[in-house]
Amino acid sequence: MKSAVSLLRRLARTVLVVFLVVFGSTVLIRFAPGYLSDVREMDARYGDAARTELSAEAARSSSVRQMLSTEMSAWANGSLGLSRQYDVPVLELVLPRLAVTGSLMLRAIVFAWSLAVGASLLSNAGRNPSLLWQAPTTLLLAVPTSAIATICLLAGSGGPVLVMTLLLAARDFKFLDRLLRQAWRSPHLLQAKAQGLTTLHLVRAHILPNVASQLLALATLSIVTALSALVPVEVIFSVPGLGQLAWNAAMNRDLPVLLAVTMIMAIAVTCVGMASDRSADWQGA
Amino acid sequence: MRSCSRLIRSVSAVLCAAIAMMCAGQAAPRLPGELAWTIGYDPKTFDPAKVDDQESELVRYLTAGVLLRFNRSTQKVEPQLAESWSLSPDGKTVIFKLRPGLQFSDGTRLTAKDAAWSIRRVLLPATGAPVAEEFVSANDVTVETPDERTVIVHLPKRVIGIGKVFDEIAIEPAEHQSEGRVTAGPFVVADYRRSQYVRLRRNPHFQGRDAKGSVLPYATGVRLDVLDNHEREINLFARGEYDLIDGLPPDYFGMLKQKTPAAVRDLGPSLNTEQMWFNQSPGAPLPAWEKAWFQSQAFRVAVSRAIHRADLARIAYQGHATPAYSSISPANGAWYNHNISVPHEDPAEAKSALAHAGFRLNGSQLEDATGHPVKFSILTNAGNAARLKMATLIQEDLKSLGIQVTVVALDFPALIERLMHTQDYEACLLGLENVDPDPNAMMNVWLSSSPNHQWNPSEKTPATAWEAEIDKAMNLQASSPNDAERKRAVDRVQQIVADQQPFIYLVYPNALFAVSPRLLGVQPAVLEPGLVWNIESLRLEGAK
Amino acid sequence: MRGRVLASWLLLGMVLIAIAVVAAPGSSYSNQDRDLPLAGSSAHHPAGTDALGRDRMVRVAAAYLLCLAGAICASAITTAAAAGVGTLSAFSPESLGRLGMLVCDVFLALPWLFLLMMVRSALPLTTSPAHSAAITFLVLATLGWPACARAVYRGACDLRNAEWMLQVRAGGLRGRQIVRHVLPNLVPLLIPQFLICIPAFIIAEANLGALGLGIGEPLPSWGGMLLELDNSAMLLQTRWVYLPIALLILILLLLEAIAVEA
Repeated sequence: MKSAVSLLRRLARTVLVVFLVVFGSTVLIRFAPGYLSDVREMDARYGDAARTELSAEAARSSSVRQMLSTEMSAWANGSLGLSRQYDVPVLELVLPRLAVTGSLMLRAIVFAWSLAVGASLLSNAGRNPSLLWQAPTTLLLAVPTSAIATICLLAGSGGPVLVMTLLLAARDFKFLDRLLRQAWRSPHLLQAKAQGLTTLHLVRAHILPNVASQLLALATLSIVTALSALVPVEVIFSVPGLGQLAWNAAMNRDLPVLLAVTMIMAIAVTCVGMASDRSADWQGA
Repeated sequence: MRSCSRLIRSVSAVLCAAIAMMCAGQAAPRLPGELAWTIGYDPKTFDPAKVDDQESELVRYLTAGVLLRFNRSTQKVEPQLAESWSLSPDGKTVIFKLRPGLQFSDGTRLTAKDAAWSIRRVLLPATGAPVAEEFVSANDVTVETPDERTVIVHLPKRVIGIGKVFDEIAIEPAEHQSEGRVTAGPFVVADYRRSQYVRLRRNPHFQGRDAKGSVLPYATGVRLDVLDNHEREINLFARGEYDLIDGLPPDYFGMLKQKTPAAVRDLGPSLNTEQMWFNQSPGAPLPAWEKAWFQSQAFRVAVSRAIHRADLARIAYQGHATPAYSSISPANGAWYNHNISVPHEDPAEAKSALAHAGFRLNGSQLEDATGHPVKFSILTNAGNAARLKMATLIQEDLKSLGIQVTVVALDFPALIERLMHTQDYEACLLGLENVDPDPNAMMNVWLSSSPNHQWNPSEKTPATAWEAEIDKAMNLQASSPNDAERKRAVDRVQQIVADQQPFIYLVYPNALFAVSPRLLGVQPAVLEPGLVWNIESLRLEGAK
Repeated sequence: MRGRVLASWLLLGMVLIAIAVVAAPGSSYSNQDRDLPLAGSSAHHPAGTDALGRDRMVRVAAAYLLCLAGAICASAITTAAAAGVGTLSAFSPESLGRLGMLVCDVFLALPWLFLLMMVRSALPLTTSPAHSAAITFLVLATLGWPACARAVYRGACDLRNAEWMLQVRAGGLRGRQIVRHVLPNLVPLLIPQFLICIPAFIIAEANLGALGLGIGEPLPSWGGMLLELDNSAMLLQTRWVYLPIALLILILLLLEAIAVEA
């Protein structure tokens, strides 16, 4: 009974977040400059066609309430609305890209965490924070994504997975390194080392349980960073995923698509948050 | 210690494996004999009647069978699906005679019925075809097909350049909108993956033949990749994945020239112009004294004189541009006014002209007669490095006059909103693309009542005498059948614009292309699509 | 300890050198030497010139001072905000804590790009480059906190449930004093966040240039110089284009060294 109640509560929370996000997004997108403008207006050949389309759009979106009700009814009948750019149902645009983006993110997060954990373990093998590990990670943080992409292009290898992995790994490493270093220096560990326990045993039995909850917190931070790093990586590498769709939609003020994408983002963020809360509760219990 | 080193080794091994797995390169499948290049965004539509953006127009150009083709190189109308055509002396009747034995790409016969249906469909208001406007009053146009190979079009009013209009009407199977999947042009739309590519395949029943009588097109297909990233495009071009780059940015020109000098072409000034203008709209939300500056001819001419256009061409375009003083580019040989008198670079003259107009230097800051410091912002679009550089160079040039300039780069929708809807801007720096050398295509820019009359859109009546004179001259050239009279009218417009400087022309960017040495048959032309206007005759070296 | 002192002195030294370069008589970050665009190093221009002929050394020094100050302030504000929100949510009654995290989630999912466009359209077009820079960093600071807040919340919750904390609270300690005990334990989370935010904000400021925010010409923008690295034509033309990134990495490593745990 209790689990059903908590499940219901989580669902309600997700729905509330989604609703607030949709409302907020609609207001932001509608009132940001450029909603009722199109670059084709400047072109003598296409100007009239563009203006007709824009006046139709203006009629459709004269108030936020009207826009929201149109969106809700579109969601109710399952098509998630009609894209302003492409004139096709938004669901048709989003579904294939969901798979692409999901796979990219999954691979990137898994690789990034393996790299970060491995690197921080290796880095902690030395006494002081090693320049060998700090310099490359700082480099990865400082170089813009587009520059990393250009270097990959010039080198002829590496793609979106590599770039995203490197970006995430660099960030995760910074946190993990510090965390592990602090755990490694704690007094009871020094005693255990003095008593002659193997490194592996130390890591498994003494360090991991203590840092587990902080690792969870980092995991959520990492996923959120991955979600925001997705857009530049997909746009630069022309990956047909949700990030590229979101970027094009933002540049073209395509409200139905943007709402669908932000809704997915809101659900993802909420689920990640709730998962971390849940596992932390389970840990604590 | 041993366990520690073991741990280190195992972790390192995992790391290396992970990195190796991530470094997989990218494969781009390419069919033999297929040409490939990029387009900036997805075509909005494949229906040739509804084309209203550039990439859809390109797809239409490559796939549509048209009665007449406007040869981009000779700039003359040539019959394509029509064997011959004639225009009556009063310009109101057009007669086409179709070639015998025409077929669509699926093998069905192409007759006058299909041509008539396609033309009528374009003229229908329900279709909303942009090209219908060229017919002036599309409702009153009638189409007859006295026999299988003849099409007669009756126009209510004479249309200048009616031949070119038929270049944009695709002939589709009657009663059967095919959206590019069944065409009479050199290629047919075979596959479309949104945001990835459009794939065209050769039309086996294309009627074109080369001089030796061989079947056209030579290429087996065309792949248009949707790619907006110049870095990747150029990298892939250098690796042979793309055969041409239409519109090479100037900074990459030098780089590609070093790698493959044979691949890059600089064709000299294009038809396009880059210009700066001041907001002269009386309804603009600007303070009255700023409007007074922008509406003052002396001010505009002084600003024009202070700008060093040679520096703009040399630095912002790395030499791949020509200083511009007139609205029509010298590349437009037929319409360029050689005898125009323009205000040339002369900062001293600019300073004295400003002094005459009541502006005074207070220390290093210029002030107008009412004591307000002369400051304004130049708006341009983000993402165009050359324009940003030009704006910064102009900022420095105007500093010598004591004018303080802020450079603001906005994304296009926000920019367009300010330019065309709210008029909330002071000065703007943008480029104008001239696709058609005939000044008639620029009516929208010069007519004061037009929403594209950038410095003061949609005027109910011309705000100044010179704008009224421009209106008169442009209307004259639109309706006059006498070529010499048209040229005189257009020359007059160019002179007025040079005197009044509503647009301060900066440079004519050069037409820069990259063509793979493996691609044979390319004859770059000034009109769009400059590199692939003769797509049927292009082929890859070594392909069949 | 020695490392920290050395790093602090180095950092201070770099700041002083930068001030000296910018304040030197005759040096200007906006003067365009139009005959020498993208020149190599010479007596007149020790680090060469950029695409418009402006002296690179002066521009890098000015950008260093401007952007570092802006990014460090913005990072500090963001980290402080994240710490504040996270800790407050953890130590408040459960419903308030959940509300705090709800706000956090909503914040994360909203498309702030459009708010930034609205900020730009609200600003007058003739906003001076310096004001525009300050506003950009301020806006970045207010948008950066949600990502870290949840991690801080988690960390603070665990601390709250730790035995020693329960003892402390049972002993009667409240409010500010709890914070004094909590924050040091959150430092392993906050310091990396602070250090990561600095380059992120520098680059974000340059990216916001596409929306009209960011540092206006002719003020030099460090992020803008970093973004030059994505242009392969530029990379091949001059090696001085690597100067800003080298400096940034050096600064970040020095900051890391200062922030290391004893």
